[in-house]
Amino acid sequence: MSKRLLSALEYPNADNVNLSEEKTIRSIVVWLELNKINGAKTSTLNGLKDVGSKDWVVHFDAYKDQLGCPPLESQQEEIHWLLGKAIHLETSKNKNIYLQHAVENIRVSSAPKVIAENPLDKLDFRSKEFQDRINQLAKTLKIVPYPDPLVTLQAVRKIVCTRLAPDCVEHPDKYIAKGTPFPFQDADLGFDLNDPVLNKAAKILRMLYIQDLRNLQTKANELIVGVQSVTANPKTDTKLGQVGR
Amino acid sequence: MVVRNYNQELEFLEKINPYCWRIKKGFQPNMNVEGVFYVNQTLEKLMLDELKNACRPGMVGGFLPGVKQIANVAALPGIVGKSVGLPDIHSGYGFAIGNMAAFDINDPKSVVSPGGVGFDINCGVRLLRTNLFEQDVLPVKEQLAQSLFDHIPVGVGSKGIIPMNSKDLEEALEMGMDWSLREGYIWAEDKEHCEEYGRMLNADPSKVSMRAKKRGLPQLGTLGAGNHYAEIQVVDEIFDKWAACKMGIEEVGQVCVMIHSGSRGFGHQVATDALVQMEKAMKRDNIETNDRQLACARISSVEGQDYLKSMAAAANFAWVNRSSMTFLSRQAFAKQFHMAPDDLDMQVIYDVSHNIAKVEEHIVDGKQKTLLVHRKGSTRAFPPHHPLIPVDYQLTGQPVLIGGTMGTCSYVLTGTEQGMSETFGSTCHGAGRALSRAKSRRNIEYTEVLRKMEDMGISIRVASPKLVMEEAPESYKNVTDVVNTCHAAGISKKAIKLRPIAVIKG
Repeated sequence: MSKRLLSALEYPNADNVNLSEEKTIRSIVVWLELNKINGAKTSTLNGLKDVGSKDWVVHFDAYKDQLGCPPLESQQEEIHWLLGKAIHLETSKNKNIYLQHAVENIRVSSAPKVIAENPLDKLDFRSKEFQDRINQLAKTLKIVPYPDPLVTLQAVRKIVCTRLAPDCVEHPDKYIAKGTPFPFQDADLGFDLNDPVLNKAAKILRMLYIQDLRNLQTKANELIVGVQSVTANPKTDTKLGQVGR
Repeated sequence: MVVRNYNQELEFLEKINPYCWRIKKGFQPNMNVEGVFYVNQTLEKLMLDELKNACRPGMVGGFLPGVKQIANVAALPGIVGKSVGLPDIHSGYGFAIGNMAAFDINDPKSVVSPGGVGFDINCGVRLLRTNLFEQDVLPVKEQLAQSLFDHIPVGVGSKGIIPMNSKDLEEALEMGMDWSLREGYIWAEDKEHCEEYGRMLNADPSKVSMRAKKRGLPQLGTLGAGNHYAEIQVVDEIFDKWAACKMGIEEVGQVCVMIHSGSRGFGHQVATDALVQMEKAMKRDNIETNDRQLACARISSVEGQDYLKSMAAAANFAWVNRSSMTFLSRQAFAKQFHMAPDDLDMQVIYDVSHNIAKVEEHIVDGKQKTLLVHRKGSTRAFPPHHPLIPVDYQLTGQPVLIGGTMGTCSYVLTGTEQGMSETFGSTCHGAGRALSRAKSRRNIEYTEVLRKMEDMGISIRVASPKLVMEEAPESYKNVTDVVNTCHAAGISKKAIKLRPIAVIKG
């Protein structure tokens, strides 16, 4: 996965990088900081640049603090987080291009604007305090933090709404999906991306889509049943019946 | 027309693989595309014998052999891809029954033909499951069969027990299963598990003749005669565990109800009315066909549009009809077992149409095209992830319900990608006749047929026993041959086999 992110960031020779090698990892960190992140203080940057030094780890710790990286289990995960951060910065640079096609924007252009007062808007989402608390919350709920705390917050919200609402806690049976598990790995995807990892990712997206569709259909059915309670009046009259010759 | 002997005719046919034959251009005059048909060894013999008989000198009259009919359809204006014959194919009016053909909507010359839909518009099969098992039903089998027979009027000229006036009929024609839902005859999930969600949106009752409406009104909620039936079936074999599981079929022995019916006299009248109009339109627009029975009109013409709108109304009629019978079957079971239909889990697994023309998107020669797909005696079989199939079947592909003949088994198949690309997502619809109705009446004694059913342990209730030999298994092809051919050719996949324990017939 990390290699994919590296090649997405156009890291030179990304396919042949050996991520278990300390030296390589150090040079990746420097490359990321210089070319993509630009978030280190000058002193830290100088420390990081000296990849051979035994103090490198100290500078790396300082660097992580400066970027607001949450405490993680292994160096692999830290690198992964850094890569995520870089990708995030890279995509935010081109945000306008991507957002042109976002559902919200398409909707906004066609609907009149209503500005509602929301006290949450006054929060500083970029502050370190906010970020720390979100990461703490994520850790408690066993969610992997994302560099953008707002995205992490969305994940937190999803878990809280679907699993921790009062009714869910009292009657967990109602909410935990039942039924026979379906071996989706064997299911036909319908197309081939010539890459097992991408295929798996596409399959997962398909499952999520099917789940969304199921929820929509269930809501439609509920609506129909609601209307039926007003309109339904089935009648039969056996006197009308006639069996043919 | 050139007259050729049998061997000369064979030169136009080529076996591409053990299950598929190609009909080359020139077999019939003016073919725009090639034909293709799917058969195994047994069915191949039936198919070629039919052609051989027709080649004998002095053979005139009656329907043309199936192969010839496929080729004549390939000569219709605007046809794309191939004219496809499915394994259960047999001669019919104009189009063979078991023939599918697609026409490009954006080609101004393209036609729609009532012969490509058939007289029983939206004839189809619906399968309900229950949570009962064979041992629960066997002791009360006779009572249950009688109860179904009492609830669902059968036979020629039968009348339904759901009171309807002409206003109700107008609304039902426009709304299809939404009408049944509004009136409370069916469940919301029934609509979810029905082809087209049980409603053709382009239906226009004002395009339907008074005569058709008069014929149709008393017949709603009746089974009809001919090959139509309602059967209590049990799961005999499960081929695809996961697909069956998605359909709510867990084990061998589970009890299901299959309803095979159509639009009764209503659809017949709509088709007859349209044929008259189309003959005029053909003269006006100079449309040439190889066979007078292939009457058709340009899709864009008034006649073409009127037919599509009235056909859609007839399709809606058929869905309301099957829905009414679903309601009545649930009542019959509920009374017998003193349980609510909900508690018996009597959900609709699926509802397919095998006589219909629909607008669909398909890939032809690498390009996406909007086509008018005619399926006559052919069932839609869309692959997994197709947007038009219910969410519950997104992973398995569309369930395809194949009704067998009286006393033989039925099958549930699922759609495949290969079917989508080879046959415009179409597969077989049933056993398909081997003997004509008249021939079966001559060859088989009806008491014999009824006795055989009894020997097999099948309870049977018939309105007109003297017509039962027309529907005897001997008059049909072997449904297992038909289904195995579709499976082996890859155009659909076997999921479940069902066998009947009680039959209600017209």
